[in-house]
Amino acid sequence: MPDLRRRDLLKLFGAGGTSAILAGCGEPARHLIPYVNPPEDLVPGKATYYATTCRECPAGCGMLAKNRDGRIIKVEGNPVHPISGGKLCMRGQASLHGLYNPDRFPGPMVRDGSGKLRPTTWANGETILSEALAEIAKKGGTGRIAVVSDLITGSLADLFGLWLAQTGQKGVHVIYEPLAYEPLRAANRIVFGEDSVPTYRLDDLDFLISFNAGFLETWISNLEFSRQFGDFHPIRENGKNKFVFVGPRLSMTANNADLWIRTRPGMEYAVALGMIRAILDGDLARDLGDSRKATLAGATSDWPVERAASAAGCDPGLIRAAAAAFARASSPLAIAEGLCFSVPNATETAVAANLLTTVKPAGLKAIDFGRASSCSQAAPAQSMKLLAERMRAGEVDLLLVYMANPVFSLPRAWDFAGAMKSVRTVVSLSPAIDETSSLAGLVLPTHYSFESWGDYSPRSGITGFLQPVMGPIFDTRHAGDILIATGKKAGKEGSFPFRDFQAAMQAYWRRSWKESGGTGSFDAFWLDALEKGGCWPDRPTAKGARPASSFSFAFPPPPAEAADGLPLVIYPTVQFFDGRMANHMWVQEIPDPMTMTAWGGWIEIHPDTAGKMGLKKGDLVTVKTESGGIEIPVLPIFTVPEGTAAIPVGQGHTNFGRYAENLPANPFNLLAPEVDPATGGLLRAPLSGGIAGTGRSFEIANTDGSFFQMGRDFWHTVTLKERNHLAEAGEKPEIRYPLPSGYEKERDFYAPHGHKDYRWCMVVDMDRCIGCSACVAGCYAENNVAVVGRKQVLMGREMSWIRVQRYFDEKTRLARWHINMCQHCDNAPCEYVCPVFAPHHNAEGLNTQIYNRCFGTRFCSQNDPYKVRRFNFYTYTRPWPLKWQLNPDVLVRQKGVMEKCSFCVHRIIEAKIEARNRGRKVKDGDFTTACAQTCPTGALVFGSLLDPDSRVSRLINDVRAYQALAELNTKPAVIYLKRVTQEIEA
Amino acid sequence: MEGNAQTQDFSGYAGVDRQIVGAMWNPGRFYWVCVAVAGLGVLVGAVSWAWQIGVGLGVANITHPPMWGTYLINFVFWVGIAHSGTLISAILFLFRASWRTTISRASEAMTIFAVMIAGLFPLIHLGRVWVVYWILPYPNERNLWPNFQSPLVFDVIAISTYLTVSFLFWYTGMIPDLAAIRDRSTGLKNRIYGLLSLGWAGSEKSWKHYGTAYLFFAALATPLVISVHSVVSWDFALGITPGWHSTIFAPYFVAGAIHSGLAMVLLLLIPMRKIFHFENLLTLRVLEQIAKTIILTGLIVGYSYAVEHFLAWYSGDAAENDQFLFRMTGYYSWAFWFMIIGNAVVPIVLFFKRVRTCIPALFAVALIVQAGMWFERLVIIVGSQAHEYDPYSWGIYKYPSLIEWGIMIGSFSLFFFLFLLFAKFLPTISMTEVKEAIAHGESSGGGLHG
Repeated sequence: MPDLRRRDLLKLFGAGGTSAILAGCGEPARHLIPYVNPPEDLVPGKATYYATTCRECPAGCGMLAKNRDGRIIKVEGNPVHPISGGKLCMRGQASLHGLYNPDRFPGPMVRDGSGKLRPTTWANGETILSEALAEIAKKGGTGRIAVVSDLITGSLADLFGLWLAQTGQKGVHVIYEPLAYEPLRAANRIVFGEDSVPTYRLDDLDFLISFNAGFLETWISNLEFSRQFGDFHPIRENGKNKFVFVGPRLSMTANNADLWIRTRPGMEYAVALGMIRAILDGDLARDLGDSRKATLAGATSDWPVERAASAAGCDPGLIRAAAAAFARASSPLAIAEGLCFSVPNATETAVAANLLTTVKPAGLKAIDFGRASSCSQAAPAQSMKLLAERMRAGEVDLLLVYMANPVFSLPRAWDFAGAMKSVRTVVSLSPAIDETSSLAGLVLPTHYSFESWGDYSPRSGITGFLQPVMGPIFDTRHAGDILIATGKKAGKEGSFPFRDFQAAMQAYWRRSWKESGGTGSFDAFWLDALEKGGCWPDRPTAKGARPASSFSFAFPPPPAEAADGLPLVIYPTVQFFDGRMANHMWVQEIPDPMTMTAWGGWIEIHPDTAGKMGLKKGDLVTVKTESGGIEIPVLPIFTVPEGTAAIPVGQGHTNFGRYAENLPANPFNLLAPEVDPATGGLLRAPLSGGIAGTGRSFEIANTDGSFFQMGRDFWHTVTLKERNHLAEAGEKPEIRYPLPSGYEKERDFYAPHGHKDYRWCMVVDMDRCIGCSACVAGCYAENNVAVVGRKQVLMGREMSWIRVQRYFDEKTRLARWHINMCQHCDNAPCEYVCPVFAPHHNAEGLNTQIYNRCFGTRFCSQNDPYKVRRFNFYTYTRPWPLKWQLNPDVLVRQKGVMEKCSFCVHRIIEAKIEARNRGRKVKDGDFTTACAQTCPTGALVFGSLLDPDSRVSRLINDVRAYQALAELNTKPAVIYLKRVTQEIEA
Repeated sequence: MEGNAQTQDFSGYAGVDRQIVGAMWNPGRFYWVCVAVAGLGVLVGAVSWAWQIGVGLGVANITHPPMWGTYLINFVFWVGIAHSGTLISAILFLFRASWRTTISRASEAMTIFAVMIAGLFPLIHLGRVWVVYWILPYPNERNLWPNFQSPLVFDVIAISTYLTVSFLFWYTGMIPDLAAIRDRSTGLKNRIYGLLSLGWAGSEKSWKHYGTAYLFFAALATPLVISVHSVVSWDFALGITPGWHSTIFAPYFVAGAIHSGLAMVLLLLIPMRKIFHFENLLTLRVLEQIAKTIILTGLIVGYSYAVEHFLAWYSGDAAENDQFLFRMTGYYSWAFWFMIIGNAVVPIVLFFKRVRTCIPALFAVALIVQAGMWFERLVIIVGSQAHEYDPYSWGIYKYPSLIEWGIMIGSFSLFFFLFLLFAKFLPTISMTEVKEAIAHGESSGGGLHG
C-alpha cells in the first residue's frame, strides 16, 4: 500500500461517506442536485471526491472525481490505485470533456423514413430493440446478433454474455480495440508460449530498449509506464539507467531515450537480431545456457551486425554499443510495440525483441504473464473483417455497437459502413455522435463513465470500480440497464433477476467475492471497494516469462532495394489514442509534444526531404496507397529521418462532433485490407505511397515560433560524468535566489521583497520530464483556462498557462523540452510596467494577477521575457454543458484581461485555511498545484522556500539547478534541474 | 532668415484681414466635399471602435507576442506629428525665424489635433477602456494610486501636459485675431467670437501682456517637445524587450518625431496654400526652409539607426543581435528597408536646390518620410515584440484587420475633419503677426512680442 497522506485520506473518507449513502439509498441519483434541497452530505462550496475509474483507454487508471455542488469539475489520479498511483495522463485529465461533450446525444434517437435521426422515447427505443431480439429468438440459431464493444470486463461483459445467451447467441461479442497488439501476442506465443499481452515492470530494470514501443504515450498502460519510467530513468545517487529507442520516428518516447537508433520503418527487428548476434559474437552472455545460445545463434545466423545495420539503415557501431550495454546490464529488457498498423513487420520485431530479452534471463522477470493485460481479450482485426463479411452476406440481423467506432478505424477496403447497411437493425449505445453511431438505425445513448456504475479490470488482479460521481446530464441510460430492460421484454420475465445494472453488478461481485473466498460481510467488501476505487490483491502472484522450449520463426530477409516514395509510419498519439479522444476539446487545443501542433493532423517529413520534394509547411498533399488516399498538410520537422514520413492517428473524423470536424486526416484510410494469418491482425504493407501536391494548403496550427532556442538559456543538459564531477567537487549552482538573500547591491536597483510565512517556489526536474503534457491538461481543467480553437491558435492566441516547449538541439536534432510557466520572479519585469498594479507581488512571493484591476494595456506581456502571460482577446465561452466543468474557485476571465499561472493560488488559500483550522502552518506536501499533482514522473515539485526542510529548499541547491534567462536578473522562483545525458558506449 | 517677409505680398492691414477672414467665410463646394468625406471617415472609425469595445480586442489582428499593433504605432506616429507644430511655432519663434509667421497658427492647430488623436490611441488599444480612469491619480475608496513606476503613467502626465500647454499657446496667440473677426462680424457670430476673444480691446496693456504670455508659452512648449517624446520613447526603452532597451531612445525618438512632423507640415501646407490661395503668404522660400530642416533631422535619424545597430552588435547579447538581424532579414524587413531609405537616404536629395524648390518633389519626399516614419514605429514596436527572448514564443503580427484599418482611417479622417473645421472657423494664419511683419518692414518677426 502506498503511503497515504492526510489529504488523500480525507478524500477517501469523503468518497466513502457519500458512496455509503449512494449505495444505501438504493436508487442512484437521477438528477443534478438543486441548491434548494441538497442531500445531507453535500456542503455547498465544499468538494467531495469520489473514486472511480478512467475509461478513456484500456489502461483503466483509478481516479478521484472532484464533485463540487453536484458537478464534476476535476479528476485526479487515485493515490491508492496500483496503476495510476495518484496521477493521470493528458487523456485522463481530459476525460471530463467526454462527459460534458456538447455533442452527446440528448436522448434516444431513431432513424425515420427520411433517413434522419429523430428523437424518440426510451420506451419506443427499447421496444424496437426488444422486438428485434424476440424475432431473432424466434428464428433461432446463433450468429444473427453481433455485439461490437470496446474492451469491457467484469460485470458488464458478464451481462452482455447473459443477454446474448438469452437469445441463444454465443461467441458473437467482438471486443474491438484498434490497438489490439495482435503481433505482440503472436510474438509472445512464439517466444514464450503465452498468447497474451503481459504486464511489464520497468522500475526494476537497469537497461531498457524499446523497439518502437511508445510506452509513454499509448502502449498498453502508458500512465503506469510513465510512473515506472520516473523510477527507472532519472538520475539516482550518481547513476542513471540506460534507455535505448529503436524506431523510425522520434516519438515522445523516443525523445526520452539516451540513444535513438533510427531505422527504416519495419526494419527494427534487424537491430534486435544484430544486437543478439553482436552479443553472441562477442561472447558477452557467458551465463547463458548452450541450448539457448544455439537457438539464438540459429535465429541470427543470417544477421551479422553489418548486414543488420545496413538492413535497418543505421550505423553498425550503434548496434554494437547497444548490444554491449545490454549485455553489461544486470536486468535489461527489450520491448516492442507489436501494433499491426504502425510499421511493417511488427511481429518480426516483437519476436526479435523477445529473443533479445532472453539473452539476459534476469530481465524476463519484468515480463509478467501472471497478470496479463486485458488487452489480451481484444479481438484480432480479422474478427472484424469476418463480421463485416457476414454482415454483408446478410447473416446478421442485429448489430449492437457499444463504445466502439469501427467505421473510423477499420481499413476502408473492408467497408464496414457499407456492411452496416445490410444489417436490418443497427443499434448504437454510444453516448456521443461518432462515425458508427451516425449510421445506426437506433441510438440508445448510454451514460458516460462518470455517470455509471461499473467495474473494469485493466489486467488480472486489478479491478477498478466505477460509481456514478454525478447525476446524468442528458436523457441517457446505463448500457446494463438497457440490456436488462430489453432482455426482460424480449425473453422470460425471470431471466434477468435484477432491478437494474447496479443490482446486477452487485450480484456479480457477490458471486466473485464468494468464489475468491471472501470472508466477512459482502457489504463491507463492497463499501471498501467503492471507497478505494476497486479491489486488487495486495500481492498478486507473478509469473515471469520463460522461453518456450522450441523456437521456430523465419525472419524475412531485408528487401533488396528500398521502395520508391516515402515509407509511412502511422502512430497513435498521447492525445488521441486511436482517435477516440478527438472530440475532447482540451486534447485538440494542447499541442502535440513533438510537433507542437494543435487542431489538425499532418504528415511529418524531414525538412531536407520536404525541400527536395518542393513541399512547404502547410501544403496540402494527397497521400495515396493502393487501398486509399487522404489529403493532409505537410509539416517539415526533424522528428523523422530523411526519407521517412509519419502520420498521427486521431484526426480525419467525418462525424464526431464539432471539435473533431474538418481536421485532416485519417491514416487508417491508407491501410491495406490483407490480414496476417499468423497474428490475425492487419498485414501492414510498407505503404510508401505517392505524395503529390494539391496546390492547396491547410495551415498548420503550431504553437512554436522556432525549432531552436537560438542560444538562449531555456533548456540545459549536463552529462552524467560532468554532473557527478561537479557534485563530488561540492559545486553549488549559480542561483539568484528569489529571496532577500538573492539581492546584491551592485545588481539590484530596488530593495528586496520580504516574505511572510511562505515563499512559494516550483522546481522542475527536466531529467524527469517526459514531455507528456499531462500538466498542461491538469492546468486547463483546474484554472478554467479557455480553449480558443483552431483559428485563434493559428493567430497565436492560445491561453495555456503552462506549456511544454519543444526545442531541437541544433547539433543532434533531438528535441529538448522546457516546461514554461509564470516564473513568479522576485524581480518581475511585468510588475513595474503596469500603470494600475494589476500584476502585484504578494507577501508570499507570488506574482499575482488581479483580473478585476487589469484594464488590458498588455505592457506586462510585452515586458515578460518568458512570454507566459496570456491575454483574453475575447470573452471566451464554453457551450453547455462544458461550462459545468468550470472550477468555481477560479475566476472566469472576461475580454480585455491578462491572465497567467497563479501557482494555483486558490489551492494555497485552501491549504492555509485548512492548516489554520488545525492551528499550524502549511507543511511541505500538504497540497500541491494541479500540474505537479498529475505529473506522472514527479518532475514538478512545489513548496515554500522559507521552510528550510522543504523539498524545494533542498532541490534548488542541487548541482543541476539553474534558472531560465537568469542573466536578466529576474530572480525566478521556478528553478529548473538540468537534464542528465549519457552516452551508450560500446 | 532675414527679409523673408519682403517676399510676402500684402496690400496693407485691411488686405490681410480680407484675405484671411475671407478664406473663412467662403470656402467653396470642394471644402464641403472634403468635410463630408472626412466626417464619413470619422464615423467609420467610431463604429470600428465601438465594435471592438463590444466584441473584444480580438477583432484587431494583434496576437501573442506582438500585443501592440497599429494602435500604438499610430500613437507614436501622431505624437511625432504633433511635435512639428510646436517646433515650428514655438522654437522658431524663440529663434526669431520670421518665415514661420504664415504657418505658425496652422502648425499649432495641427499639434493640438494630433495630440488629441494620439491620446485616443492608448484608449483604443486598451482591453477594458471603460475603466481607463484608474490610470489617473484621483482619491478613491480603494486607496489605490496609479503605479508611478510605470512608463504608461509618465505618458498620461506628459501627454496631458503637452496638450494643455499647446492649447494655451495656440489660444493665446489667437486672441487678437479672434477680436479682429469679432469686429468684422455681426449677430451670433459676433457674440461667439466676442466670447472667444475674452474681451480683447487692443489696449497697450493688453498687447504687452499678450506679448509676454506668448513668449512664456513658447518657452514652455519648447522643452516639452523634447520631454514628451522622450517620455513616449521610455514606453519602450524602460521595457526589457530586445530592440527597445536602449539609452539612445529618447534623442532618437525626438529627432524622429521632428522629422515626421516637418514632413507633415509640408504635406499640409502644400495643398493648403493651393486651396486657400495663400501662395503669396506661404512662399516657396518657406517650404525650402522646412526642407532644409528635414535634411538635418533625416541625418540625425540615420545616425540613430547606425548607433542602434552598432550597440546591439557591441553588446554581444544573443537576443539583441538576433533582434536586429531579424529586422534586416525577417518578416518585417521590407518595412525596415523602407524606413532606412525613406527616412535617412531620401531626404538627402533635398540638398539639391532644384529638388527643394520643386513642389511635387517636396510633396513626394514628405510623403516618403511620413510613410518611412510610420514604418519605423512598426519596425520598432511590432518587430521587437515579434522576436523576443523566448524563441518558442516568436510570432508575427501579419497585417491590420478591417477594424484596425477602420480606426486608422478614422484617426486620419478625424485629423483632417478637425483641421477643416479649424480652417473654416478660425484664422489659419496669424493676422496679428502678418500685420506686424508689414509694420516692421524687413525686421525679424519679433516685433511686439519681443
